[in-house]
Amino acid sequence: MTADNNAALVSVIVPVGDRQTPIAELYPEYKSGLRLLDTPYELIFVLDGPQPAAESTLVQLVTEGEPVTVVSLTRYFGEATALMIGFEHAAGSVIITLPAYLQVEGREIGKLVAALGDADIAVGYREPRASSWLQRLRQRAFHGLLRIVTRLSFRDLGCNARALRRRVLEEIYLYGEQQRFLPLLAERQGFRVSEVALRQSKGDRHDDMYRPRTYTRGFLDIFNVFFLVRFTKKPLRFFGMIGVATFSLGIIELLYLVFERIYFHSPLADRPALLLASLLIVLGVQIFALGLLGELIIFTHAGGTKDYQVDRVIQYAGAVAAVAESADVAGKHFDNENSAVISSLSR
Amino acid sequence: MNRPPKISVIVPFYNEEDSIGPMYAAIVAAVGALQIPFEMVFVDDGSNDATALRGEELAKCDARVRLVKFRRNYGQTAAMAAGIEYATGEILVTMDGDLQNDPADIEHFLAKMAEGYDIVVGWRYKRRDKLVSRKIPSKIANWLIGKVTGVHITDNGCSLKAFRGSLIKNIPLYSEMHRFIPAMASIAGPRIAEIKVRHHARQFGKSKYGLSRIYKVLLDLMVIKTVTSFTSRPLLWFSLLCLPLTLVGSVALAAGLLAGMPGDGGMSLPLTGTGIIFLSAAVTLMASGTLGELIYRLGDVRPEDFARLTMKSVNSGRTAK
Repeated sequence: MTADNNAALVSVIVPVGDRQTPIAELYPEYKSGLRLLDTPYELIFVLDGPQPAAESTLVQLVTEGEPVTVVSLTRYFGEATALMIGFEHAAGSVIITLPAYLQVEGREIGKLVAALGDADIAVGYREPRASSWLQRLRQRAFHGLLRIVTRLSFRDLGCNARALRRRVLEEIYLYGEQQRFLPLLAERQGFRVSEVALRQSKGDRHDDMYRPRTYTRGFLDIFNVFFLVRFTKKPLRFFGMIGVATFSLGIIELLYLVFERIYFHSPLADRPALLLASLLIVLGVQIFALGLLGELIIFTHAGGTKDYQVDRVIQYAGAVAAVAESADVAGKHFDNENSAVISSLSR
Repeated sequence: MNRPPKISVIVPFYNEEDSIGPMYAAIVAAVGALQIPFEMVFVDDGSNDATALRGEELAKCDARVRLVKFRRNYGQTAAMAAGIEYATGEILVTMDGDLQNDPADIEHFLAKMAEGYDIVVGWRYKRRDKLVSRKIPSKIANWLIGKVTGVHITDNGCSLKAFRGSLIKNIPLYSEMHRFIPAMASIAGPRIAEIKVRHHARQFGKSKYGLSRIYKVLLDLMVIKTVTSFTSRPLLWFSLLCLPLTLVGSVALAAGLLAGMPGDGGMSLPLTGTGIIFLSAAVTLMASGTLGELIYRLGDVRPEDFARLTMKSVNSGRTAK
């Protein structure tokens, strides 16, 4: 299975985790939507952890000759990992990711693909959305915080119905639960993102309270993405800033104490404020040192230094003023994965 | 060398739809007259005007034009780095896309390169820019860059530079470092020359850089200094950082312990505490240094590899008996 001869093929990846609608109900819904696309399609279900019931239903579908691939993982690895593994089995040029529970109506899948247009990734958001006030508050807080932290704004990152071009997943490495932030990471990578309203499925109701643990994790996720997006390439800028600020604070306090000692004769040695000053100074130095280590990691790993993404390289081999020397260049293919060479329209 | 080396002229463009055409014409006129093989690498840095379109038209008419199109705006350094990546010449010449540099100067650069230099940088000795917002900050920055990096160049901000391709393609360029390319390249110890170039006032569009970059320049300077001096011996560097901490810590600890010796009150707690804090910081810093050494050993880029980029060797091809 290669991507080359599957230009029209659409691969649908469904990571199956904890929350799921029975396959017997889910599959017909998605199938009805996919048939409206009028292009060949395949479905890849990735079972994240042992799920005997779902697995047997899916295997049954395979034996019936449905265009289904089932991948089973032996333990829970996280939805993003499941997605990446699903992608390894996908042959289509367009990838659709769908949740394993009915979040949006099946017939909305067509809209998703249409919204892809000349964008690289189309992200669905549920509209109109039936939700409790608590849910709305939660969603606002999450997206608001994310907007402040990353300066990128999205409507509904909780909606996992997305369509994307192959090259997006070829370039972006996801793990753990990062699939939620895929649009964000894609945009940072210079891909064009479009958003599309999808009708929420009646099955998508989740009114119960989350456990505190979920909130903590959500918060840590944002923190994680913040680092990924903003500072992984410039650790010294980030740590250096904090380090120098802390250090300066400590020095200022120390100078003040010394000043008081000299002019007001308040004894230096007996003051707990001295401890605070020295702690700040030391902390500043250590944070700065962490930045140095980060910079060292970036520098010694060659891949880390490239911070641009090439859309395409344009050169016409058959153009008029072809000098003998440039002929050998023109036919050459750059084996850079981010670029495509448009070459030889030779007359 | 019998054959003249191939030249790549690298020009980044960001919203320069009016300049790209004249720039192309000027390069072709200037370099074409030299009767040497050359190519042009135009980098469109995510412009939102017709720059990319014009560039594509040029590529259609001339096989020597290669247009590298970015997905979005990444800044001048990234554009230069991409131009260097996609250039195939043995000598790479970089210049600004705003027509302030004069392609007619390329000839002098090539002459200087032929003398055996690895990097030739331009110096805009009659600079046609605003005094307060451009020239004075630039003077200060150049002085500072020379002081900190040890690479003394009169005009780092001049984009017109020539590099030996094999050298510059292997130097990591990142962040906002285009003005530091020679400084960054100094880890390979290149032979650097400087020549005067003409500088024209801006004809089209407007300047994209202002005073706000000073802060970034300072930070980048710090990074460069770190990378060029620290990366090859992390343990040594961290040890140097430890030294003042150990000194302060020992003195404070000794003073704290001695303070109460004569009798009343016992030793001074804040002073002793300070001593302990500084000393423990010195220990963790040493640990960081060891970690740094480990990272350095496992990494795949090491400054000593750069020695091969600039070395020259001569031998007679014979062995003695």
